[in-house]
Amino acid sequence: MTAPTTQERVSHRVPLWRDVVVLKWFTQVVLLVVVLGTMGFLASQAGDNLRARNISTSFDFLERPVDIQLSEGIDTHPDTGARALWTGMVNTLRMSIAGIFFATILGVVVGLARLSDNWLVRRLGSMWVETLRNIPLLVQMVFYFSVLTTLPRVGLGTGPINGWLHVSNKGISMPRVFIADGFYQWLVVVLIGAVAARFVRQHRQQIQDETGAMTSPILWGLGTVALFGLVGLFVHPVFSWMGPVFGRIADLLDSLPVIAPQLGFSAIALGVAVTWIRRFLSAHRSARGHLSLSDDDWFRIVFAAVASLAVVFVAVRWTGLSAWTLDSGRDLFQVLADKFDVDGAARPFDAMRPDIIQKGMFPNYGKSGLTMSIGFAAVFFGVVFYTSAFIGENVRGGILAVPKGQSEAAKAVGLGRGQILRHVVLPQAFRVILPPTGNQYLNLLKNTSLAVAVGYSELVQVGSTTYNQTGMTLPVVAIWMLFYLSCSLTISVVVNWFNVRMRLVER
Amino acid sequence: MSEMSSGLGVPTIPAPPEEPHLPPRQWIRENLFSSLFNTVLTIVSSLVILAIVRGLLAFIFNPQRQWEATATNLRLLMTQAYPEEQYLRVWVCVAVILTLTAMSMAVWRAGSAVPLPGVGRRLLSGGVLLALMALLAPFGTRSTFIWLVIGIVVAAGGEALRRFADEERSLSTLALLAMALGGLVATLWVVPYGSHTFNLQRTPRVLAEPGTVAMSTKLPWTLMLVVAVAAYFVGTLVRDRLPTNPLRATLLVTWLLMPPILLYLVLRDPSFDMGHVFTTDIPIFAAYAVLGGALLSWLTRPSTGEAGRIVAALVLVAGFAMFATPMRMIVRLDMLLLAGFALSAPTFSGGPRARRRYTAGWLGVLGMMSWLITAINTPSTVDVPGGFFIGGISLTLMVAIFTIVISFPLGLALALARTSNMPIFRLLATWFIEFVRGVPLITILIFFSIMVPLFLPPGMHLGEVAAVVIGYSLFSSAYLAENVRGGLQSVTRGQHEAAEAVGMTTSQKTVFIVLPQALRVAIPPLVGHCIGVFKETSLLAIIGLFDVLYIARYVMSNQTEFMGSTKENILFVSLIYWIFAYQMSKASQRLEQRTGLGER
Repeated sequence: MTAPTTQERVSHRVPLWRDVVVLKWFTQVVLLVVVLGTMGFLASQAGDNLRARNISTSFDFLERPVDIQLSEGIDTHPDTGARALWTGMVNTLRMSIAGIFFATILGVVVGLARLSDNWLVRRLGSMWVETLRNIPLLVQMVFYFSVLTTLPRVGLGTGPINGWLHVSNKGISMPRVFIADGFYQWLVVVLIGAVAARFVRQHRQQIQDETGAMTSPILWGLGTVALFGLVGLFVHPVFSWMGPVFGRIADLLDSLPVIAPQLGFSAIALGVAVTWIRRFLSAHRSARGHLSLSDDDWFRIVFAAVASLAVVFVAVRWTGLSAWTLDSGRDLFQVLADKFDVDGAARPFDAMRPDIIQKGMFPNYGKSGLTMSIGFAAVFFGVVFYTSAFIGENVRGGILAVPKGQSEAAKAVGLGRGQILRHVVLPQAFRVILPPTGNQYLNLLKNTSLAVAVGYSELVQVGSTTYNQTGMTLPVVAIWMLFYLSCSLTISVVVNWFNVRMRLVER
Repeated sequence: MSEMSSGLGVPTIPAPPEEPHLPPRQWIRENLFSSLFNTVLTIVSSLVILAIVRGLLAFIFNPQRQWEATATNLRLLMTQAYPEEQYLRVWVCVAVILTLTAMSMAVWRAGSAVPLPGVGRRLLSGGVLLALMALLAPFGTRSTFIWLVIGIVVAAGGEALRRFADEERSLSTLALLAMALGGLVATLWVVPYGSHTFNLQRTPRVLAEPGTVAMSTKLPWTLMLVVAVAAYFVGTLVRDRLPTNPLRATLLVTWLLMPPILLYLVLRDPSFDMGHVFTTDIPIFAAYAVLGGALLSWLTRPSTGEAGRIVAALVLVAGFAMFATPMRMIVRLDMLLLAGFALSAPTFSGGPRARRRYTAGWLGVLGMMSWLITAINTPSTVDVPGGFFIGGISLTLMVAIFTIVISFPLGLALALARTSNMPIFRLLATWFIEFVRGVPLITILIFFSIMVPLFLPPGMHLGEVAAVVIGYSLFSSAYLAENVRGGLQSVTRGQHEAAEAVGMTTSQKTVFIVLPQALRVAIPPLVGHCIGVFKETSLLAIIGLFDVLYIARYVMSNQTEFMGSTKENILFVSLIYWIFAYQMSKASQRLEQRTGLGER
């Protein structure tokens, strides 16, 4: 018990300007003041300049009509700025999801090809990787675009496989399977099937664990889902009663006062903060219950409290947010109610072949096929090929990172080639592959913004058209950054969740 | 990007061990036809390769391709609109860089030697490849025959060399490279690659007789080749006669000093009055050098103690106070620099040698900064209507080099702040890094290229390229910080504790113990980051700067002679990018193998 007193005496002797704690906080506060001051100075400069140039920075343009034509998307002639930007966001997401899906498949193929026993395949794989990852993505995209624009012009009855696949300078058109009126009821059947599949899988796994017989539980699970999907094609109208239920929920949300979501938000914020602080405190308590907190820990606690109070403040002061939450919840359930309110003859899916129509002078693709415009195709091939090279390297590195002893041991136990890969190598490799691949997904999302160079109307392209027309650069840039930040955050949360799960599996 | 960002960061994986040399038949059986599945794969992939090669050859040798567009516009792609009459400066730059490269190669004995039979083996495979290509390419019968014969002759020569040449005798790769380049330059005098060039107004102007290459192209390139070869021989002569270490140190310092000097050479107004430099800039530099040097030499004395810190703080206050008074910018910036050096002086205090080294560091940094400020303040006559005066590859390289140089200290600081135990530093750094990494580069570039004038106080002006470089540096520093942070985390706890046990202060520990180890580990990802920065300069085309991609896509393919030559031009641009990026990644892999980074 002498140590603290010595410390105390020492700290009494140290003058204020030599005290580490004082110095530490002094520097930090000075830095904070400098950063905030610089930002405030720049902001005030920007305000003056904007006023001098008569540029407003409000978000009004979102509500006002705009005159923008988009090349493709859910709404090619949007009537407001908000609608235009929303179309751009949907196009970005569409490209990212498609890109991530195909880049993963191609990347795994490339990675496995580079590890193949076959010399030619190995060479082909490394050629693919070394060529694609050393050429800037934008250059690749522009190249694909310029190749696609010089394809033959679309005419009635052209294409490699007439009526099934058309390739021309208007894009690539192919048959399309789309969801029809009965889809949502069918989806309910499939969801029930998924729950059932879980039980089936567990059951088969149990049998395998007890008897040692090969019961292939995963195949059985997948088979159950498929069976439900197949049966659902015929029995889905039995779920029509869910429409009125959703309608009832929508009515309920409509009748709730604005205070309800405000209370909800506040409760969540406070609850999360309190739980976090309690956990943090109990984690820092020693076995005897002695609490030792550094100034850094105190900072964290204060920060958590302040942040939750800020959320409460925003929720209470900004009633628009709560009203919007209620409205959009109501709209969502209203839409669901409408979707379920269909007659029994509706089919879950429909399919159509591409068509070519002559409207005016030149023939063009009709709406029935699945058409990739050349802008879409250029961006799509660009991001998929480019990312596949990087994912391929991740896959290769991950598999090489599994010690050779693992597969040798598995071979010694008597597992076959496929079994070694599936049960021993891949699960371990996956843990190494996942984090960098998650980074590649983020990169892919951000790289879709290069589509502005080839005229695919994703968010950046729509945004730059908007600010060229309305002069609202600052709000548009703010919307871009918010959108990309939230998308990046979502992807990293998902990847982290997988990461944590993989780590738990290990123990 | 993309590497960095986008594709920044190239994962590096140790190469698989070299396979034992097998007789051809057995090798084919083991590598291509070991099982049924393997055989199928072999057949399928050879069909794929055949299709790719055929498609590529058909694309390249299609008579509709206008390869003349790139050959004619090479100057545009290299420097865009640099004035014709000032071109000598650019050639001098190229000559200096070539000389330095060749001398360094000679002094460091870079490059390997290939035994003559090895050369023969390569010739053999090259000849066979040539013959195969001749068969696959869509030539007329006559050209196919000619190329086939050339291929067979080369292959036969290679085979003869392989059989009969002496294993002891060898040829250095540099000599091979020089021969190949010599051959290429020689063709400039005979083969008409392109017969005209374009001046600033982009109207075609015939510079040479049709069917020849302009003298202003072939003469300089021939001279450059001669210069490079001569420099190599001078290097070998000097290498054997002078002591090694001072020679290498001189070359290294020259390499470090070259960028600002060459930049100055390219930008400077030839009719610029140097009086200003002599009457103002040099006296200011001298005063700071002498007085600052004396101050620092006193501050680094271990016995200085408390008073030193107070003086350093006063210097900082004086530096900030200068911003409130009318003063030359260079005086204020030098004062702030001195304050930075003064505040970190206790970290570097020690014996006379350490003190001398610190003062020398001050002189070097001060000189570099004065040089840069003077160079920037120097008016440039290289003034082109409607935009920045250089473009093409020069712009790409300039932006990439500036971005890397600026973002390095910034990224280092961010990484240290993010791993520090000071919560506000950590919070600010983390927010900045995560924010920047969450948004695409293009939004930042657009923001900086159009919005920066809005944020500046009245009367201050920042060129578009400068603004873009600042934005790009901020972007790149966030990624760089993450790479450095990876290195910082790899420094073991014991190193920290040992440094503390010896009695080092936190900053001494960071500078002398932690950072050197962290940076060594971070070399491979940092090189990957540099490649990413280089590749992503292509985004400059989107915001309308005249980089190679922009010129290839919009300028060249709109020239009346070469309408619709976009595909060819972009293929050429990809080739340029590919060569640079591939060479850099190979060099990084070699570096990694040599330092044994992968194994530790």
